[in-house]
Amino acid sequence: MRISGIQKRFLKYTLPLFLIAILLSFTAIFVFMRNTTIKTLTQKNHFQCEKMGISLDELYSQTDSATADIIINENVQKSLWNRTLTGVESAALTKYFGYIRLSSVADYAYVDNKQNVYTRSYSVINYSQFQESKLSSYLKDEYSTTRWFVANDTLFGTNEKSLFVARYIRCMDASHVPGEVFLKMDNSFLGSLIRTDELKESAVGIMDEHGEVFDYISASSSELDDSIKEKVLETAEAQNAGIILDGDWSYKGILTAYRQPQSGMIIFSFIPAGVINREVNSLALFLLILYVLIMITVVVFSFYFSIKYTEPITEISDRMSGFGDGDFDNTLNIHTGTELDRIGDSYNLMLNNIKDLLTEVKEQQTALTRSEINTLLNQINPHFLYNTLDTIYMQARINSDDLTMEMIQALSKYLRLSLSKGSDVVSVGDELENVRSYLKIMQIRNQDLFTYTIQCDVDQEKTATLKLILQPLVENCIKHGFSEIYEGGIITIHVSERNGRLIYTVTNNGLGILKEKAEFLNRASNASIQELPSLFPDKKHGYCFINLVTRLRLKYLDEASITYSTEGGTTVTVEIPATEVNT
Amino acid sequence: MRRRIQRLACVALSFSMLTVTLSGCRAQEAPAEKVTTEIQIPISLSVDPTTGKKGDEDLVTAFNEEYSGKYHLDVTWVLETEDERRRSLKVKNATDQLPAVLTDVRTVPSFYRLLIDDHRIEDLSEEIANDPEWQQIIEPVVMDNTKDSDGNLYLAPISSGAFTCSGMFYNTELFAKAGIESFPATWDEFFKDCDLLKASGITPLALHTEGTGWAPMLIATAKMGETEEGRALMNQIFPSTYESESFEDLAQTLKKLFSYASDDCFNTDFDSAYEKFFSGQAAMIPNGYWMIESIPSDFKNKTRFSAFPGNVLIASPETFGWAITACYSDEIKKGALEFLKFRAKRSQDDKRKFLTLGGSTLAEQDYIKAYLNSPYIMKNYQTLWNSNLQEKIIPADLPDLARGKISTHDFVLDCNKSIAEFKEK
Repeated sequence: MRISGIQKRFLKYTLPLFLIAILLSFTAIFVFMRNTTIKTLTQKNHFQCEKMGISLDELYSQTDSATADIIINENVQKSLWNRTLTGVESAALTKYFGYIRLSSVADYAYVDNKQNVYTRSYSVINYSQFQESKLSSYLKDEYSTTRWFVANDTLFGTNEKSLFVARYIRCMDASHVPGEVFLKMDNSFLGSLIRTDELKESAVGIMDEHGEVFDYISASSSELDDSIKEKVLETAEAQNAGIILDGDWSYKGILTAYRQPQSGMIIFSFIPAGVINREVNSLALFLLILYVLIMITVVVFSFYFSIKYTEPITEISDRMSGFGDGDFDNTLNIHTGTELDRIGDSYNLMLNNIKDLLTEVKEQQTALTRSEINTLLNQINPHFLYNTLDTIYMQARINSDDLTMEMIQALSKYLRLSLSKGSDVVSVGDELENVRSYLKIMQIRNQDLFTYTIQCDVDQEKTATLKLILQPLVENCIKHGFSEIYEGGIITIHVSERNGRLIYTVTNNGLGILKEKAEFLNRASNASIQELPSLFPDKKHGYCFINLVTRLRLKYLDEASITYSTEGGTTVTVEIPATEVNT
Repeated sequence: MRRRIQRLACVALSFSMLTVTLSGCRAQEAPAEKVTTEIQIPISLSVDPTTGKKGDEDLVTAFNEEYSGKYHLDVTWVLETEDERRRSLKVKNATDQLPAVLTDVRTVPSFYRLLIDDHRIEDLSEEIANDPEWQQIIEPVVMDNTKDSDGNLYLAPISSGAFTCSGMFYNTELFAKAGIESFPATWDEFFKDCDLLKASGITPLALHTEGTGWAPMLIATAKMGETEEGRALMNQIFPSTYESESFEDLAQTLKKLFSYASDDCFNTDFDSAYEKFFSGQAAMIPNGYWMIESIPSDFKNKTRFSAFPGNVLIASPETFGWAITACYSDEIKKGALEFLKFRAKRSQDDKRKFLTLGGSTLAEQDYIKAYLNSPYIMKNYQTLWNSNLQEKIIPADLPDLARGKISTHDFVLDCNKSIAEFKEK
C-alpha cells in the first residue's frame, strides 16, 4: 500500500497527539479514580468510626448517669455524712449497687469515706485489698468526673484486662473525703460497639488514653501495629474529642480515630494499604486494558481515515501531475462532501478555461500567421495591381473610354487607401476618401440607385481613425438598404467628435432594418470575439458586421461601440476614441 | 529552527495539558472549617415559677451583644422552686456539672461553705484588686460584706447596696379593709395592725417554714434591731452561742408571727408564701427589692413597700454575689469574670437611673424612700449563722415552735446544738 506524503504527515502528528491525549486521559482518570477510591474508603471508615464513637458517647453517658444516681442515692450520701450506717441501711446500700441502671456490670466495689467496702455478697474485699489494687490512682485529681480506664483486674481477683468505670462519690451537703465507686464492666459492654459483620476488610480497636488496648479485631486477623497505636495516641494528645484522625494516610493505610471526650477512650478504624492497593491495582488493570484497546482502535481508525481523506488529495495530485501532458479531458470526479469537492470542481473549471484559452490562442496564432502572410503578399501584389491598373487606365485613355478611366481611378484610390501600406490607422480624411472612392465605384455600377452626402465636423487630417470602418457600413446600405429600389437612395455620412469620442453616423433611407435584427446586432456588438462567429451560424450573413466588430474590438477593446437603429431607414453609429494622427 | 520551535511548543502544550489535567485530580481540600473563637460560658439562670419571666434575660442579651465573637453566655433556663434550686446546685456540684457562673450561692450557706472547702469556686481577690475598672465600680459596703471570713473574695461584688435591701411588702386594699391607713412605724403598732387584720378575717402574714425560713426569719431578725443586744448579735458571724435574751426574743417573735399566718404555711417554701400574698390571701410578705419586678400587673397599684417597723432594712449585698466555678478552663473563667464585671457596671448604671428617675411603680417609689430615709441596716442572718442551723434546725423546728410542740427555749437550745454539729461535720 502506497502511503502519501500528507498521510505520512497526518499520521506523524496526529498519532503522537492521540497518544499524548490517551496518556493524559489515562493518568487523569487513574488519579481521579484512585483518589475517589481512597475517598470512598475514607468516608466509609469515617462513618464506621463515628458511628462507633457516638455509641461510645452513649455508653459513657449511661455510665455517667448511673454513677450520678449513685451519688445522689440517699444511703450513699448517708454513708458519707453519718458516722455509721445502721444494719438496715448498710444492707440496703450493698444491695443497691446490684440494681443500678447500667447493664454489663461484671462486678462493683464502693468504698465510703470511712474505709467501708461494699461489694457483691459473694465478694469479700476489705479496705487493704482495695488499697493494694491501686485502682484509686486512676481517679487522679478529678472532683467527680466519671472515669473509664483499662487495667488488670487486681481488685476482684481475675487479673484480666478489663474496663473499669470509676467515680468519686462526693457528699452533697458538706466537704468530706469522697467515697469511691468502681464498676468492672464485662467484655460485652464495649464489645457491642464492634460488629464483626461490618468489619469487611478493616480493623477496629478500642484503647484508653494510656494506650491500653481493650479490644482489637482485624478482618485479616493481623496484629495491631505499634506505629498505629503511637500515631493515635500522639494525635489524641493534641486533639481533644470527636474524630481526631480522619482518614490519615501516613500509616500503612487509612486510619480514623474517635476520642470520647470524657472517658478519654479512643476507638479507631484502620484499612490496610494492601486493601486499598488491591482495589486501585484492579482499577489500573482495567483502565490499562481499556486504553490499550482504545489505542489500537485509534491507530487503526487514524490509518483508515488518513487514507479516506488523503485519497481525493492524492487523486488531485495525480491528475495535476498528468496535466503536464496537456490532457484537458482528464477531469476530477471527487464526491467527499468536503471542501475537496470544491477544489475538484474548481480544477475542472480551470481545466476547461485553460483549454478554451489555448484554443483561442492557437486560433489567434493561426490568424496572426495568416495575417502576416497576407501582409507580405499584400506588400507584393499592390505593385503588380497598380501597374496593371495603370496599364488599363492608359489603354482606356488611348481608347477615350472616360467611364473606364473614372472607375479605374476610383478603384486605384480605393485600393491604395485600403492597403495603406499595411497600416491599420489612417486619418479621417483618408477614411472619407476611401469611402468616396468605393461609393463612386458603386454609383457607376448601380447607375441612379443612390446619392450620398458626407459631412465632416472634425479636422480630417489631424484626426486618426481605424481604417475601413465606413466602407462595410455603406456596403450594407447598398446591399441591404437599397435591395428593393432602383433609384432615389440616399446615404448620409456624418463625422463628429464629442467628449473625446469620434462618432461616425451612417444613415440610409432604404429598407429599414427590422427592429429585432437591430436589437440582435446591438447585443452581438457586445459579444466576445470568440462568440461572434457562433452568433451567425449560417456563415452567409454577418461577415461585414463580424469583420468590423472584430477589428474595432481588437483595436479599441471595450472603448469602441456600434449601434443600430431604425427610423424610416437604418442608422448605424460607430463610436471610437478620438486620437490624433501621429506626425 | 522553525521545526524545533514547533516541537518545543508541542512539548510545552502537552506539559501544560498534563498539568491542567492532573491539577483536577489533586486531593480535594477539606473546606476550611469556620473557626469559632467565641468562648461559651455556661450559666444557669432561673425562670420565675409564678410569672414565667426569665431572670436577667436583658443582662444576658446585652452581654452577648457587647461581647459578640469573643464570649457568649450559654444559658440554661431553669424553672424550679427555691428548694429545688438548692437541691439542684448540690447535685450538680457532686456530679461535677456546675455551670461556670454560679448565681446567688450565698443564699445556701452550707453549700457556699462546701464550695469553698472543696476549692470549687475561684478566689477572685487578686483579679479584682489588680483591675482598676473593678475598683471604680465596687461599692465599699458591698466589698466589705462580700469578703469571706477567711479574707478571700469568692463572690464577685457585683451588686449595689441600693438593690439588696429587704423590708415588708403590704397590700393596701386589705389594709384599708381592716381600717389601717399606713404601714406601722413601731413593732407595737405592727402587731396591733396584725390583730386588726386578723379580726377582719384577713391573714396578716404570708409565711413559710422550709429552706432557711426566709420570710419569718426576716421579720424576726428585723425586730432584733429594737435592742442593742439584738443589733450586736446580728453583727456576729458564726456566733459561739445562741443562748441569749435576744435569741429567746427572736424565738418568741417567730412563734407570735406564725399566729398571724395561715395554718397551711408549714412545711412549705417561699413560693407558697409568695402565691398567698399575690393572690390577695395575706396582707404582708417580707422580701427584698428584687421582688418588685415580679409583682403581677393587677397588684401593682395595691402593693406597697416599707422598711420594717423601727425603720429597719435588712441588707446583705454578699447574698447576691455571683461566683466562678474553678473546674473550667482559664479562658472560660476569664470570660466569666468579664461577665461579672459587666453585671457590676450595669448594677451601678441601674442604681443611678433608679435613684434619679424615682421608680415607676408605687412599690419602687416606696423602696427608694425607705432606702434614702436613713434606715438602720441589719445584716442578713443567712450570712451570719451556720448552715446547719439554717437548713436543718430552722425548717425542722419552726412548725413545732409555731404549734407549741417545742418551747422557745427548746428552739434556742436546738439552735445552740447546731453549732456543735456544724463544727463536728
